[in-house]
Amino acid sequence: MSAPNCLRCLVRPSAGIPVASVPRARAPLANLAPITAARSAPFSTTAANAKAKASSQKEAASARGGKKLQLGKFKKKDRTADKGRPPLPGERKAYRKRITLSNDNAIPVPWLTDLGPTDLAASENVAKVKSLPEELQDQLRASEAFKPTQRWGMFRKPAVLVRKETVDLANQMQDSANKKQMLRLVVTGDKVAGKSMMVLQAMAHAFLNDWIVIHLPEAQDLTTACTEYAPIPGTDPVQYMQPVYVLKLIQALRRANEKVLSKTYTTQAHPQLPQNIGANTPLLTLANLAKEPDNAWAVFQALWNELTAKGANRPPVLLSLDGLAHAMRLSDYRSPAFELIHSHDLSLLRLFANTLGGGVQFPGGGAVVAATSRNNAPRAPSMELALAQREAEQRLRAANNNNNSAPGDIEVPQKDPFFRGYDERVEAVLRSVQVLRVGGLDKLEARALMEYWAASGMLRATVDERTVTEKWALAGNGVVGEMERASLMTMRV
Amino acid sequence: MVFIFGVNFNENKLVKKALESFYALGPQTSARILAKYSIHPRAKMGTLQPKTLTALTAELSTMTIESEARKIVQDNIKRLRDIGTYRGRRHAMGLPVRGQRTRNQIATARKLNKVERRG
Repeated sequence: MSAPNCLRCLVRPSAGIPVASVPRARAPLANLAPITAARSAPFSTTAANAKAKASSQKEAASARGGKKLQLGKFKKKDRTADKGRPPLPGERKAYRKRITLSNDNAIPVPWLTDLGPTDLAASENVAKVKSLPEELQDQLRASEAFKPTQRWGMFRKPAVLVRKETVDLANQMQDSANKKQMLRLVVTGDKVAGKSMMVLQAMAHAFLNDWIVIHLPEAQDLTTACTEYAPIPGTDPVQYMQPVYVLKLIQALRRANEKVLSKTYTTQAHPQLPQNIGANTPLLTLANLAKEPDNAWAVFQALWNELTAKGANRPPVLLSLDGLAHAMRLSDYRSPAFELIHSHDLSLLRLFANTLGGGVQFPGGGAVVAATSRNNAPRAPSMELALAQREAEQRLRAANNNNNSAPGDIEVPQKDPFFRGYDERVEAVLRSVQVLRVGGLDKLEARALMEYWAASGMLRATVDERTVTEKWALAGNGVVGEMERASLMTMRV
Repeated sequence: MVFIFGVNFNENKLVKKALESFYALGPQTSARILAKYSIHPRAKMGTLQPKTLTALTAELSTMTIESEARKIVQDNIKRLRDIGTYRGRRHAMGLPVRGQRTRNQIATARKLNKVERRG
């Protein structure tokens, strides 16, 4: 008995050829080949379509035609078709790290006013939302103050809530600048309590008052062995420079502080630089010299010497850093002797640590502000202990000044005598810093923030006592990031 | 394309991986070499200075790697065979050396146990 299909070529003979009647060996090839074309049923249009297609493909593709047996479950052709172009190197990361500062679909808030130079230090602005002016946005963006985790992209224009802590910080900064002293301060607090935002506001205050701002956006970039390093010749103990990072830092510094740097002049000549910079050159020209990683560290050192030159007429300087714990431990770099390098032996972080510890004075005064992180922080027991101690001491001092509360119940935490992981260098740096604890918002601030969200069309609810209290309580007594999660991130439209 | 020790590497290749591609140079040694020349562990070949490249080549040429290291292994096997030990004979026959059964599953022994061992 013959099979219904031709076994040799898997072509299904159409009804037109009586298979049994034609002996296979003698059947001319022409009878088999055009089966689908000529001998198909007269009422079908498939043949005509197939013919048109085949002629367009020049008949090269399939001489046999007809239905083929599909062995695989998936068609190969489709798998290759919709793959598209693979992303270029770095493209995915750029997408992940992009920062959007405006949303054209959000409603513009009519009563929103731009921040002025004195706004962040004025106590009548507490619990008000203020927007960042265009120029400030560019400066903050250049110095990488915005983070991809913050919700800037939801609103028409970037705005910040002025909190009690903000006003406190801005006033302290202003005081120290007036007295030409250094404010040395660490911002700490719970997860998503707004620590990075506090640094951003400090930077905003500095930019608006024509300070020079040097911002290290993430300490982990410097210590997790991701950027190039090289020992600095002639240093004992050996220090390490990070030329590529420093180049990036100088370029950011130049873009963000262009106006101030062009009005500040050098006090001494810098013959060690190849371009031979003389005295009375704008610092901007000095910063412009850094074009390649090779000379970046020399230029940065020259800039630093100029900024710290004694007796010079300089604007105040703000030095800020986020993710302090990474800068307060052994880094992941190795010395030529294969020992781990302490973060404070990396020259850039050493400068920062010196300034935070009180070893550097800027002639125009200024501030060093560091923020801890709760999400991305390695264990730094010395730092945690030191910050807890400083905070307790501060409370003790405040209680003594007020004289009305009992200072006896405030205890300064002590070292665990059985723990070996403490780091003396870290303790030395944090021995006399101030600690600013960022906690939850109070109800008034929470209400101002929620009113702004509602006015932007991002919160679809009437903002009254009840909703404010509800969200405030949901957010662990007003932790601002949790409030955002409770009200903005729930898509209950 | 970047040359180290006479071998051409792609610019996007990690220096660590490039070093470990040499026979008898593993993670421990490569980490130490990187530290010695202050190259961070995620550095790529394209970012190295010409000075560092020549230093690396010089460093590698003082080490027993590649054919020298292979020669050591081969010599050890040859010695075993020349003094007529059981291990030497098993190597020469391409059979397991350490008392494994030979009824089946001796592909690795067939591949590796030779007097002129490849690697």
